[in-house]
Amino acid sequence: MLELIARFLVIGTLAFGGGQAALPLVERLAVANTGWLTPAQFATGVGLSYATPGPVLILAAFIGYHVAAVPGALAATAAVFAVPVIFAGLAAQLVNKLKDAQWFQSFGRFAAAAAVGLLGVTLIALARPVVDIHPILLVGAAAVFAAVLRGFHPLFLIAGATLIGAISPVFV
Amino acid sequence: MTERPDLPSLAWALLRIGAVAFGGLGATLTLLNRDLVERRGWLRSSDVSEALAYTKPLPGSTVVQVVTFLGWRLGGWPGAIVATVMFLLPAFAIMTVAAAVMLALPDALMVRSGITGLQVAVVGILAAAMWRLARSEAGSVPLMMVLIAAFAIGLFVNAALIVGVAGAIGVAFDRVKRYA
Repeated sequence: MLELIARFLVIGTLAFGGGQAALPLVERLAVANTGWLTPAQFATGVGLSYATPGPVLILAAFIGYHVAAVPGALAATAAVFAVPVIFAGLAAQLVNKLKDAQWFQSFGRFAAAAAVGLLGVTLIALARPVVDIHPILLVGAAAVFAAVLRGFHPLFLIAGATLIGAISPVFV
Repeated sequence: MTERPDLPSLAWALLRIGAVAFGGLGATLTLLNRDLVERRGWLRSSDVSEALAYTKPLPGSTVVQVVTFLGWRLGGWPGAIVATVMFLLPAFAIMTVAAAVMLALPDALMVRSGITGLQVAVVGILAAAMWRLARSEAGSVPLMMVLIAAFAIGLFVNAALIVGVAGAIGVAFDRVKRYA
């Protein structure tokens, strides 16, 4: 439990570029380093976090639940948002002083670019189990990619893909 | 300025917004604007754009931080905490129940293949997220190089370390550029 809190505190503190850019950190933590979740469970959590209202990082609740039920969900959620929320409150309080903090803007810009690059690593980690099932499934992923960029809501794409998957054994 | 809400009204407003805040940052900003600025008149549009400008460079979920920032404007630290907690509550409840349901599902063929379908969709959604973020967060050659390097190194090295080092490089880079 303490490890859960400590690790999600770190993720929150390093989530430059916003919640989606922090997904690589979460994937390393929850799948690669600790094995708290299987890759399929993690992908499910990511899908649900896009399909539900609110921030993507609410994924912390999903992972926390897998580790230690409801207390785990609460602890992980509180931990992942604690530092950013304190920062945001301080920013509101110190608006005028922050305008001058050049180094702070520089740090944020470069850290965010790195975080986006790391999304590529996460993408590979999530695509690998899919390819292992059958490479043709990547065509479906490409279709979803195109649909999202055309403005389709993730909720419908996730629901549709899950449904198609669920009924596919009938035809294969 | 405009009238200040009491904490219960603020809590109720943010709970309602949190329950329908689908579609990420852009859609949520529109919701906040429509409700807190246009409908209730508690804030001005400029408050919302300032909230975005000052929380974007900070680490953490920007959607949540915009809510915290606006909550602070409306009621100091108590307002910030109440707004944030209420905004997160619906998403938290849904995700916790979803996790419980997922763990309780039987290991049946249809469940497994359904999850495969979901995994396929997530790969596409994440690829689209990366595409969009790369366009918004890596708008210059140095930043694009950082992005590519982080991807390449990220295959072998701890992700948190890379983010921190990239930030430090950014501070050094901008300082050198300014005095060059």
